[in-house]
Amino acid sequence: MTGVIALLVTVFVTGAVAVVMRWKNGRFSRGGVETNADATSEVLGADDIGGVLGERATLVQFSSAFCAPCRATRRILTETADIVPGVVTHEIDAESHLDLVRRLDVLRTPTVFVLDASGAIVSRASGAPTRDQVIAALDRAIPEFS
Amino acid sequence: MPLTPTVDPRGQRFIAAITSVVLAVVLLVPSPAREIVLAFQVAVFATGAFGALSASPYAQLFARLVRPRIGPPAEREDARPPRFAQVVGFTFAAIALLGFVSGLTTLGLVATGFALAAALLNATTGFCLGCELYLLIQRLTHRDAVPQKGSTP
Repeated sequence: MTGVIALLVTVFVTGAVAVVMRWKNGRFSRGGVETNADATSEVLGADDIGGVLGERATLVQFSSAFCAPCRATRRILTETADIVPGVVTHEIDAESHLDLVRRLDVLRTPTVFVLDASGAIVSRASGAPTRDQVIAALDRAIPEFS
Repeated sequence: MPLTPTVDPRGQRFIAAITSVVLAVVLLVPSPAREIVLAFQVAVFATGAFGALSASPYAQLFARLVRPRIGPPAEREDARPPRFAQVVGFTFAAIALLGFVSGLTTLGLVATGFALAAALLNATTGFCLGCELYLLIQRLTHRDAVPQKGSTP
């Protein structure tokens, strides 16, 4: 009997974790250029991300070796940057940039940051996002998005 | 890009599914069947964790029974996270077995539950526990900001 209870509890907890992960993965924080008027956002420069900022926005992906979803994320970000003018994407290896990882509180990979034209972090998401989620996040980071 | 060993992701899901069923059985059957089944699963975990991933009986089952029917995978994935999963499974299952055998039944049930949860998550959603923990472990074990190449963790 206790075994049955243990099984039910395990299945329930597993289900709960699966639901939470599905909800959280790829969900960008609701920050946007309008709501980010204060100066408390972190700003990343070209030195931090190892490349130039995009004219309108920049997508920064933190990846690591042990990261199955990172490949799919890289593909989605690259394709999006190809389609949307003024947007560039950079990938950072988390393991070799632990200072930045700690500064930005990166806990898992992939973590994607959306920067506005000045390099200020406008929103972020952990777990692999869909293309729609990336486009919506860019929409909030670019004043006149077309 | 360095060539790391890769595995068929569908094989990993298949293995996780079988593992889930076996661990569920462990929770449901009485002693001594419970300890026997669990001991078998501990051995299976051990082959995947410390030997060749493909040597595990479940991997063999996939290779001989399923794989010929479904053809090659579209993409292969890094073999290290699945191996890490086998190590985690081995650890929990071994603790569980020790718990059951020494009369600490609650410990046995809880540890089996954890192993089952991990296998079930992997089988149903492809959730990769090793992937989630990897960066956290890196952050905890590397005190300097930028680790030197070749330094031991």
